[in-house]
Amino acid sequence: MVLGTEDATPVSFWFAVTPGASVGMDDLVAVRTQKPDGSPVHFYGIVDHVRTRHEGVTFDSDVQDVVAGLLPASVSYAARVLVTRVSPENFIPPQPGDEVRHARGEDLRLALSADKMKRSFPGGLLADGQVLPLNYQFVNGEQGGHINISGISGVATKTSYALFLLHAIFRSGVLDTHGEGHRTRALIFNVKGEDLLFLDQPNREVDPVERGVQAAKGLPAGRYDLLGLPASPFRDVQFLAPPKAGAGDVIVPDVEQRSGGVTPFVFSLREFCQRRMLPYVFPDGNASLNLGFVIGNIEEKLARLAAGDDAPYLTVEDWQPDTETLLAEDVRFDEMGKTRIQTFAQLISYLEYKLLEQNDGEGDPKWVLKQNQGTLRAFVRRLRGVQKHLAPLVRGDLTPARAAQYRPDLLKAGVQTSVVDIHKLGAHAQSFVVGVLLRELFEHKERYGRQDTVFVVLDELNKYAPREGDSPIKDVLLDIAERGRSLGIILIGAQQTASEVERRIVSNAAIRVVGRLDLAEAERPEYRFLPQSFRARAGILQPGTMLVSQPDVPNPVLVNYPFPAWATRRDEVAEEVGQGTEDAGNDWLGL
Amino acid sequence: MRIRLDPWPVDMEGGQLGLKRFEGELIDIETPRWAAVAPKAIPARLGTVYVVDGKRRMESRVFIEDGDGAAGMGGFGAYVVGAVELCPHGTRPATLREVRAQRLLAHAPGLRVDPCLLSPRDPHTGHLQYAPVVADSAEPLAPLHKLQQVMLAAEQELSHGLASRVPFDEGDDREALTALTIQDGTLRSQNLGGAVVGCVKTMQTQYLPPDRAGLLTDLKPGERTPILHMRYENNRITRFIWYVRLCEAAFYQHPMSGVMRLEMYAPEEPDFLPPIVRTVANVSGPLLCRLASQPHKDPRAPQNLIPTAALEHAMTRAMGSADLVTRRLRAHIARELGVAS
Repeated sequence: MVLGTEDATPVSFWFAVTPGASVGMDDLVAVRTQKPDGSPVHFYGIVDHVRTRHEGVTFDSDVQDVVAGLLPASVSYAARVLVTRVSPENFIPPQPGDEVRHARGEDLRLALSADKMKRSFPGGLLADGQVLPLNYQFVNGEQGGHINISGISGVATKTSYALFLLHAIFRSGVLDTHGEGHRTRALIFNVKGEDLLFLDQPNREVDPVERGVQAAKGLPAGRYDLLGLPASPFRDVQFLAPPKAGAGDVIVPDVEQRSGGVTPFVFSLREFCQRRMLPYVFPDGNASLNLGFVIGNIEEKLARLAAGDDAPYLTVEDWQPDTETLLAEDVRFDEMGKTRIQTFAQLISYLEYKLLEQNDGEGDPKWVLKQNQGTLRAFVRRLRGVQKHLAPLVRGDLTPARAAQYRPDLLKAGVQTSVVDIHKLGAHAQSFVVGVLLRELFEHKERYGRQDTVFVVLDELNKYAPREGDSPIKDVLLDIAERGRSLGIILIGAQQTASEVERRIVSNAAIRVVGRLDLAEAERPEYRFLPQSFRARAGILQPGTMLVSQPDVPNPVLVNYPFPAWATRRDEVAEEVGQGTEDAGNDWLGL
Repeated sequence: MRIRLDPWPVDMEGGQLGLKRFEGELIDIETPRWAAVAPKAIPARLGTVYVVDGKRRMESRVFIEDGDGAAGMGGFGAYVVGAVELCPHGTRPATLREVRAQRLLAHAPGLRVDPCLLSPRDPHTGHLQYAPVVADSAEPLAPLHKLQQVMLAAEQELSHGLASRVPFDEGDDREALTALTIQDGTLRSQNLGGAVVGCVKTMQTQYLPPDRAGLLTDLKPGERTPILHMRYENNRITRFIWYVRLCEAAFYQHPMSGVMRLEMYAPEEPDFLPPIVRTVANVSGPLLCRLASQPHKDPRAPQNLIPTAALEHAMTRAMGSADLVTRRLRAHIARELGVAS
């Protein structure tokens, strides 16, 4: 019953729990109150605070007398409710004494505003085993878009929840109702370990784990059954990974745990120039105005140089590299006296020549454009710095056919989920890959429109779109955050600390999820959407539990989600479906 | 010269110690040997102890004119009697019993008065029903006395209804002490036969002659004096009495602080000490030491027992807010007289 000793307001009230009943945090409750004219008003809310205390005693030490059976006292068990919905929207307070019930069935649907959702998919299980519906229209861009997940690494399991959401979207049937299931895709960047390279393999631990959880929580059925999802791995997955370093005709993906089914990807040197990828090599290029100017200029020069041909390599006439020093780099000369640039290292050497060596160290005036030497040197030095990582990725020594074969094609027919493994790359190369792929995706969608939704899962947003400073990748991410939803690109971003991510990216997310947070972090303004009690609790969330906030429900809801049905490590892969080495070999050789 | 403090707060009427001389008759009924009696363990069969108290409140004095032209004084009053039920062995939580407010409209004799039902404007605050009761006289204080009488009667009935029976016949020892009632204050009316022990917190009268009073100072916590049969000088009321000490007196307090007088009903003829009375006396020390309060929690500690304090609190609450009741009474009268309020 609603308490009369605490204020009851339309947004929050306390209620007393009758003896024998039990209420925990996150339980959803419903209250019906009556206006003086007899018409009912229903309040739906979530319990965000529970407490017990001895009533009728004055001193803290009285508890000893109560326990000893000397002092009569009753235990007062009360809970606070944050109202999520008032129906009809008459914001009168509930009356002390109004009965409070657990929200179940239809009440639960109303409490979570599920009746307002035309299409929804399961976002996890509530504490009592009921399903939390998430409004798909706020995910796919119809009314809102983007999902943002925050939480401490390792404990908050942000990636797991992002994958669970993808699994729920793909497999819950929410897509089929609109006939878009076969066209909706996901692009996942794997930034940590090789965790995501087994998405297509069943997890052999899922059954025992889920049975244990079902027994521990006393659920009527397994969590996957309750959610209406199959406990099966992802389907139609392609794995892309950068090739191993080293020249040669065989291009081998640079992965260790997975033996097959991973496609290496490379960009041709000409593409690099033509498609103006140079700025993405410098995530902090705009930090200095001069450097940004040099990058822009050289980007332009390279694009011109590359125009008009489609061989993977570039040819230049005005460079005769000193073969003594470049011997190791295997320079080839064309028949017409042109030099062929076919490795990334050669490209850097060429740029170095143009900027710093030609004209007795003056550089080519058209390339230098009166920039001072320090800036030019900084530019070259940075390029050299990423050379090791980018050299295997950007190549001109392949035949055009093979270059086309290894071009990353994120929208390949028959592929629903693309996993791009970038965990082995250095920070700059990671940014480069993310930036280039996202921009290509964005430009593709700009041309072809929004009809196929593409979900982009990207962890460590704070690295790619930091709050401070500008970078080309941040521009792409901002574009996606701000315009992506109308183009059908939905960003499922994650980061440890939302306070360090560009504000507009976080604020554009319709659905926000919080896992375990550092308590100091939880007090930052980015988490103001969480009520105070939830912020305090974000510090003690266990793995597998998330606070989910969506536009339809004014308060966040705590959910847990099942153990992944897909393997997240090599040793979780169920044995019988492991691929034979022969297949793997064929894969590598592109047969 | 030695000066020591009376432990009770000064705004309380009378201190703990009064020490008027007693003019009645005392008989050694238990033993002629005047020495401290050691406490005995509480027997297992004593399963329940009730602590009973009552409380009254005059809510408004009234002047009544009835339809026949008669007029007189009266008063709206409320009283509560209630009990705390507890297990002396501490195996059950203590619970409140029968704490319910009763209301009455006491009035001078010779008036025709209808029951009074106060119905509130606010549906949450319930109805107040005042039953008419005739007071003994037309004196202005008579309604208050009537209220007190009604309350004491209810208290008496509750005390004895809950307790084991005490046989006052030498041949009858079937009754065992399974339930004991501790009543707050002296026993006021006639014996109804229950095992009821009254706890007198103050010592207004010094019953013991000077040569015996020294024992009160020497008692150790839990110890008691032998049981005495007492008869008042001016009336026929007889009681068994004994003293127990609940705690050591602090050095600044008078040496009899912490000592409490206990009473039980006694037959008029001092020829027989019922075994139950002796049992009650034996367990009274350990029992009351357990129930005794702490000075920082209750200014009348240790005599005001923990359950009594809780019961007083609950009874006050059961009568409701005095301000609210007075306002309701005023609104009721306004409605009766047709005055807009």
